[in-house]
Amino acid sequence: MKKLHVLFVAAFALALVAAFALVGCGGSSASSASGEAASSEAASSEAASSEPASAEAASSEAASSEAASSEAVEAVQLQVFAANSLQKALPEVEALYTAKTGVTFVESETGYAASGTLVETLTADPTAADILITASAGSMDDAEAGSLVDSATRQTMFKNDLVLAVAADSDLQIADVKDLATDAIASFAMGEPSAVPAGNYALQTLVSAGLATGDKAGYEFDASIADKVNDGADKVGTVATYVSSGEVDCGFVYTSDIYRYDGIKVAYTVPADMHKDIVYPGAVCAQSANADVAADFLSFCMTDADAQAVFAQYGFELA
Amino acid sequence: MILALTCLLGCLLAGAFFGVGSAWADSLIVTDASGNQVSASKASISGDGNVAISKDGDVALLNGATFGISSFTRQNKGTNRDVDDVYYGYRYRTVGEMSFGVVVNSSYVLVYIPQEVLDELGLDLNDKNFQQKFLVTLVKIDKAASNGGHTIEEAAASAKVFFTSSKSLVVGDYTYAFQQEIGEGAWYTTVNKPGSHDASDGALYASSGLLTPKDDTVVTEKSTGMAALREFFEDLDWAPLWVSLRTTGVAIVVIFILGLLAAWLTLRVSNKVKGLLDTIFTIPMVLPPTVCGFLLLVFFGSSSATGKWFISMGLDIVFTWPAAVIACIVVGFPMMYRTVRGAFENIDANMLDAARTLGWGEGKIFLRIMMPLAWPSIAAGTVLAFARAMGEFGCTLFFAGNTAGITQTIPLAIYFDWMGGKTDVAIFWVIVVILISFLVILFINIYSSKTQKYRKRLGE
Repeated sequence: MKKLHVLFVAAFALALVAAFALVGCGGSSASSASGEAASSEAASSEAASSEPASAEAASSEAASSEAASSEAVEAVQLQVFAANSLQKALPEVEALYTAKTGVTFVESETGYAASGTLVETLTADPTAADILITASAGSMDDAEAGSLVDSATRQTMFKNDLVLAVAADSDLQIADVKDLATDAIASFAMGEPSAVPAGNYALQTLVSAGLATGDKAGYEFDASIADKVNDGADKVGTVATYVSSGEVDCGFVYTSDIYRYDGIKVAYTVPADMHKDIVYPGAVCAQSANADVAADFLSFCMTDADAQAVFAQYGFELA
Repeated sequence: MILALTCLLGCLLAGAFFGVGSAWADSLIVTDASGNQVSASKASISGDGNVAISKDGDVALLNGATFGISSFTRQNKGTNRDVDDVYYGYRYRTVGEMSFGVVVNSSYVLVYIPQEVLDELGLDLNDKNFQQKFLVTLVKIDKAASNGGHTIEEAAASAKVFFTSSKSLVVGDYTYAFQQEIGEGAWYTTVNKPGSHDASDGALYASSGLLTPKDDTVVTEKSTGMAALREFFEDLDWAPLWVSLRTTGVAIVVIFILGLLAAWLTLRVSNKVKGLLDTIFTIPMVLPPTVCGFLLLVFFGSSSATGKWFISMGLDIVFTWPAAVIACIVVGFPMMYRTVRGAFENIDANMLDAARTLGWGEGKIFLRIMMPLAWPSIAAGTVLAFARAMGEFGCTLFFAGNTAGITQTIPLAIYFDWMGGKTDVAIFWVIVVILISFLVILFINIYSSKTQKYRKRLGE
């Protein structure tokens, strides 16, 4: 009788594994069907997948929209991992590139995380992206050290400024970083310094102003600001959201975030000498299957006049 | 108290700022290409007027003016970058050859309007009335396009405005050039500082646009009320709903079968094994979903031996749609399992034994006695598991990622839309989820009242 039970358990365990396997297979066919559905409703770039099965569907879609252009060249799809601050500007430039070359891009919000997070994701799976653009030289150094990107393709792409943002309807006046220690400001937010470059620049600024000590590996806030700082935002966009929703009085974001988010405005531009230069290095990932196309896209970003206009509109200065 | 202090501080600061600004402005000498001094405009920017602005912020028309502004764009930054190894200065893209150009600085605002355009429209650049109308329109459209950045309105409090048709202006160290073609068909406003390769501090930002006759200036204003609602729904991406329904739909079928099997199985094993199985089956309910996600990621990801084996078998599911389904199954399964097990345990064992003495097989007993008796609970468990799977966030995000249209379910969409500043879309999905939850609870209540009836009838 006991043996029977053991058999039962074993059979059940097998059934579980089989079910998982079934889901795996059934799932992939279902998702390719979803890709077809998307192309039929012409949801264009909205529908994109990293899966080969539906990438085919997506490519046929791209080919049909590009029907005018020559023979069906094997369509390339690029996955870009870019600093969170580029979330609105980059897709517009990608659309320009798609219109010009037919190369499509994976549309995924996980592709726009904090630079530190992107490098971690890429470390876990070096094939996850074709292009990496970070918001600090340090994050790119990490990626280079881990042989995640092709060093020869590394270039400085953009410059940005750090600002203190307040809600659009706020009357708060800020004339100096030291104002953060005054009673006029009850709370402020910044990115988590070790993963979010904007948070690290903010920390450097606070250190310059004498309101904090240490660096991103270990730091301590001055008593005058210690109980009003929220330094846990997972990306710079989160800081912008905190500010616009009124959860904090002000926050350290980039100038470009002012233009990409509604409901926040510049209160004070942090002098550039208070933190390291804010530069965005870009590089082609070492394991990219489409390294040539990826490199071409990077050079398109840097040299195309229309691409420059888009970046400039969002406050990114081409380096 | 704090408010008063803030105001006081603000006034003091503003006072100081304006003082310095006007001191600079007094000593401002602006000269054009032919060396003539350009005098500051006497037109006031604060002139009131009813300016209609398009919803995209690119077209503006002042009520009563004979001209309007079209194709307006702000370039919040320029670039010092060389073009084909030639340095042209800090350059801002403009909208075209015949566009007007505006350069905004904290102590002056320069407005360049091509003479050809003025001639065509029959306008006089030095006419104060024209300048006034142009400025009022410009200030309004600039503010609409600023999105929280600097504005001419704020700069003009301390800055003077200069109008010109000359293609270049010199102010102090800086030379501003307008209507410059750099590369094929790309027109720029440039800032140069002799001896420097970085003239970016010569301007806060620049903008450009086209002066168009009133009749050609078509302003599509932001729609309101029902029209705005219709537009919202037209622009809305319904993908999260379909992804949610698809993911949860597949997951619930698997959960239903596995849940029933697991519940049935635990009834039939010895108490020791039962305790172990019960723990294993229930633990996803107790664990934080992120832990489940983490474990799944490790189990299926390329960093572990099991993951490597799965991938070598062609099952690379991390960050794909099947991953979302598995995440839903793992977190939804315990709901189904526990509810069904409870129902099975409540079935009178004598009934089952009676069936056995009548020679029924276990399968028949399961299908003909246990299932019908436990049906209300099974249905409730299914609905609960469905709701739990539909609401799954942490595990899905960890294991399946957030790819729009593939793994972005409603809960993920809510979080990322809110984070991305699309509050209205986030609110819409919140309402959808509340509606779905309402239906789920209603369904359970109706079902349980049925059970009550059945119990009552039994009691009679």
